[in-house]
Amino acid sequence: MFPLYAAGQWLGVGVVAAATALIFYVYLSRRAIPAKYLLPGTLLLVAFQIVPVVYTLSTSVTNYSDGHRGAKEQAVDQIEASSVVRTEDAAEYTLTVAARGPAATGELVFLLTAPDGTAYAGDAEGLTRLEGAEVGPTGRITEAPGYTVIPAGEANARSAEITKFAVPTGTGTGIRSSGFSSAYEGRSTRVYDAACDCVTDTETGRVYTADDERGAFVAGNGDRLAQGWQVNVGVANFTRFLTDPVTGTSFFGILAWNIAFAAVSTAGVFAVGLGVALTLHTPRRLAGRTAYRLLVVLPYAMPAFAMFLLWRSMFNTDFGLVNRLLGTDVDWFGEPWAARAAVLAINVWIGFPYMFLVATGALQSIPRELVQAARIDGAGAWQAFRSITLPLLMVAMAPILVATFAYNFNNFNAVWLTTAGGPFPPDNPMAGATDLLITYTYRLAFGVGGAQYGYAAALSVFIFLIVTLISLVSLRRSAALEEVHR
Amino acid sequence: MAPSSPRPAWSRPSAARRAAAWVGRDGWRHLVMLVVLVFALFPILFVVSAALNPLGTLSSSSLVPRSVGADNLVELLTRTRFGAWYANSLLIALANSAATVFLSAMAAYVFSRFRFAGRRLGLYGLLMVQMFPQFLAIVAIYLMFSVVGEHWPQVGFNTRTGLLLVYLGGALSVNTWLMKGFFDTVPRELDESAQVDGASHAQVFFRILLPLVTPVLAVVGLLVFISTVNEFLIASVFLRDPGAKTVAVGLYGMVADQRDANFGMFSAGTLLLAIPVLAVFWYLQRYIVSGLTTGAVKG
Amino acid sequence: MRIRRVGALAGTAALALAATACGGGAEGSGQDEATMVIWADPERTEVLQPFAEEFGSANGIRVEVREVAVDTIQADFVTAHESGTGPDVLVGAHDWIGNLVQNGAIDPVELPEDRLAAFDEAAVEAATYDGRLYGVPYAMENLALIRNTDLAPEAPESIEDMVATGTRLREDGEVEEALGLQVGQVGDPYHMQPFYTSAGGYLFGTDGEGGYDPADLGVGSPESVEAFERLADLGEEGQGVLKRSIDSENVAGLFERGETPYFITGPWSLGAVQEAGVPYDISPVPGFEDGEEASPFITVQAFFVASGSSNKVLAEEFVANYVADPELATALYEADPRPPALTEVLEEVSQDDPDVGKFIDAGENGQPMPAIPEMNAIWDPFGKAQAAVIGGEDPEQAVQTAAEAFRDESG
Repeated sequence: MFPLYAAGQWLGVGVVAAATALIFYVYLSRRAIPAKYLLPGTLLLVAFQIVPVVYTLSTSVTNYSDGHRGAKEQAVDQIEASSVVRTEDAAEYTLTVAARGPAATGELVFLLTAPDGTAYAGDAEGLTRLEGAEVGPTGRITEAPGYTVIPAGEANARSAEITKFAVPTGTGTGIRSSGFSSAYEGRSTRVYDAACDCVTDTETGRVYTADDERGAFVAGNGDRLAQGWQVNVGVANFTRFLTDPVTGTSFFGILAWNIAFAAVSTAGVFAVGLGVALTLHTPRRLAGRTAYRLLVVLPYAMPAFAMFLLWRSMFNTDFGLVNRLLGTDVDWFGEPWAARAAVLAINVWIGFPYMFLVATGALQSIPRELVQAARIDGAGAWQAFRSITLPLLMVAMAPILVATFAYNFNNFNAVWLTTAGGPFPPDNPMAGATDLLITYTYRLAFGVGGAQYGYAAALSVFIFLIVTLISLVSLRRSAALEEVHR
Repeated sequence: MAPSSPRPAWSRPSAARRAAAWVGRDGWRHLVMLVVLVFALFPILFVVSAALNPLGTLSSSSLVPRSVGADNLVELLTRTRFGAWYANSLLIALANSAATVFLSAMAAYVFSRFRFAGRRLGLYGLLMVQMFPQFLAIVAIYLMFSVVGEHWPQVGFNTRTGLLLVYLGGALSVNTWLMKGFFDTVPRELDESAQVDGASHAQVFFRILLPLVTPVLAVVGLLVFISTVNEFLIASVFLRDPGAKTVAVGLYGMVADQRDANFGMFSAGTLLLAIPVLAVFWYLQRYIVSGLTTGAVKG
Repeated sequence: MRIRRVGALAGTAALALAATACGGGAEGSGQDEATMVIWADPERTEVLQPFAEEFGSANGIRVEVREVAVDTIQADFVTAHESGTGPDVLVGAHDWIGNLVQNGAIDPVELPEDRLAAFDEAAVEAATYDGRLYGVPYAMENLALIRNTDLAPEAPESIEDMVATGTRLREDGEVEEALGLQVGQVGDPYHMQPFYTSAGGYLFGTDGEGGYDPADLGVGSPESVEAFERLADLGEEGQGVLKRSIDSENVAGLFERGETPYFITGPWSLGAVQEAGVPYDISPVPGFEDGEEASPFITVQAFFVASGSSNKVLAEEFVANYVADPELATALYEADPRPPALTEVLEEVSQDDPDVGKFIDAGENGQPMPAIPEMNAIWDPFGKAQAAVIGGEDPEQAVQTAAEAFRDESG
């Protein structure tokens, strides 16, 4: 807590103190037993998941995006700093940074050598001829009476001062440093005036006035300066999405495919994963069982992003292995339904080992006696599975199925790294046949027009609402989840 | 599946009959597994092939590389700091999976056995947090840790501790649901009778329930280990020093540049990365399949 | 009783954790040695290290080079700048400048005129944005045509010539594909640019000062429709020379295995081609017989000064006065053979390695890749339009759709 206290971060001190107090309360009191078990995980969850999510959501009412990231002051600083132009045909100097007095604190002086060899000393007052200076082989002044030469390391420590410093040489012009060994004469061509809240370009005479609704300096003719700042835009991001013409025509199609994608993926990985788990699940000794298990887990052990890329090239029309093996000539990623089938197949491949592992664990924890008892009572293997194993299995697995559904609903990589959302109809490059809501909104928010975090946050609010709604409805309908409500 | 009804014993079963019996009992399992393994492994053969191919292309048109050599492996081990990456990955993944299993099991225990205010909200909340797209939150995490790093440099950027903390933020997650489901399958009567015998809630948790759900602890441990080893989105933001990276971040850097992606080195690294995953699985699978549960329910 | 013990234990552990955090924090803030940090992509990190160290020890400062994956480095840099944890110097491509400037993340660089004159003109032009020089260039790259001299001994005069040779070889069964030009499912405007420009199309017009003018979008113009018609003629429904199935992942392999006589690519592919042992030669990407000159994009790799740097004096010194050093340029070239931007070094290495000179010749008619932020808004729809047309869709509709998507986006 000490560093926060020292830095005067009172909010931080408060948060840490509150968390500590909560820890003491929970663990020293006799009550609140659930809290004792939940607190550590919950604190981490709040700090590193919920806080970032809430922060992100809070940007949904701003224009937070590339070109509008910082505060207005930063934009103004940057506009002024990047508007310095070198005076035409002006001399270039070799620079030595020096000080009057001690190197760390003394008043800054630029010791300059002009191309003709004349030495000058420049301070906030202006240039004066410098006599008696010692000049090194590169033309830099190494020593001068009355000045302390600042070595590079210490000059660097005074970077903020030095980069702002200009030796005045006329109206608006000054000699500025470029690094610590050269200097040039230049002038700032854009000047901010707080009185009119505007930036004037001294070269063109154009005046850019601050537009606090857009977060930019805009001239009368509509031109704007590149550097903007973050402002509150209210519900603009939300209405922009709702009134987007592409969204209007393709939203429900994307949503329907998205639901189908998540449902089929979940069903697919469940069927394959459980099937494999059942195959290897026998009380008898099965030769090679460990080897089978290890090999089946392999797809999951490989970095998924690389496997998506690999599968993408396997589905290549002309060079891919899939067409070669099947002897077909399917344009996999060019036909909507072929692309959908391919994406699903890839996703099942990637995901089934996960389900296999979970199902294996679940099968193990079902008491064998129950199944054996049923079999002794005359039930067939299938019947015993249906009436004993499966229901017990579902208790353990239903939540995982819901979670798998939710995960696949937002499975960005599975689509982005394979089809990138395509194929796209010829009249609409913004919404493709395999687009999920998340890839579609990613394209809207990041694919075109730079990174638009505010817009993306607004879009994720929509997705969030939709997924939550679907999940809650399916959870409520799922009898296997009655445990939650008990 | 053939019903195993009692049959007359054969004195000299013919070979065909023996084969039929084999297929009926376990042979079908091998046949199914053969098909599954073909499906599961043939893409991976390309990775092996690319790792052996000195040209470094990931070609999906032929399985057999034109030439074979260990160049990629040698290059990977000498030109990059793969050893350091490897150690980092293992350290972070082991720490994260151990901590996650513990935190998640605690939470699953109370979600399964206790009824308290906010329980339902908590469970649904865990699911909902997962639905938030991670690539958006990354900027917020970035901003947060630049503040944290100013005050506590040892958990800021470029520290494994900081990265581990972020990962642990996801300790309570779907895994908690998974574990809760398993806790639910353990009959309540077990812990109730223990409590009647005077056991505290902590004893019920550590001595009775945890041993009974060992399979799921092992499964979750493995799942977390795998996903941590493969995670690169957050890790790439956190770890910048060439020596402090994880394998996933290092490997991603090799293929991120479309124009000169080095799939050879990448594939060699991927295969090396799969070794600890399989080792952990091999170690844990005895817990996953151990017959502990049967014994406990009996007793 | 037992509850107490467990609870107290956990509480103590939490406290201990908090204590280590606090104690350590106080310690950590004590060491405050200035460190200049450079971000570069993995290719360049290693090469820069010795030079960074030399610069550091000469100036009494620690210099670190950190590698960041090439596809995230720009976004990471902007975010890091925003949070005040960014590096002091960034190494990257000139077409990031527009975005970096609008985020206020980099400062202009002042180079003395004599030093500026030592650079290739096109490189300086590319690194100049809105009238200011924002980066110090060190390497340039552009597309050229690499051909397999066993299959195609002569450099083609025109696209028609190239297509005729390629198609004949394909019909004779000597090769599988007539031309190795990556398209992919979503198109690749960068690699298509020589064809597109030769067919009369352009992406953005230029304003009076030589910069690109976002208001003058060439996509959607009658010229662009005509250009797309020519692409369609070469496409899957036409002569089958341009194909969506040829993408960034398989194109190099096709050429390296001798399955295509021509490969349109940049200097980055050369290493693998040499390793594969294909006999090759390099020539400019040809244009259409009756068309304009084919004009590939030129991209320039440059050093930038981060505006948020806390070591700005040194960062400026490094970028403005140190990296323009011929020795560094030579070393960078040797580690990653892309044509150096310093004319003197370029001439020197071209003598030892004629390929470099051939790449530079191929870039003669090139145009710098636009650095304006508006590029983002057209790049994706433009590429998809190309892929659609190559796949057999109507050129007029594809072009207009792309132009409309751009207008929707940029408002």
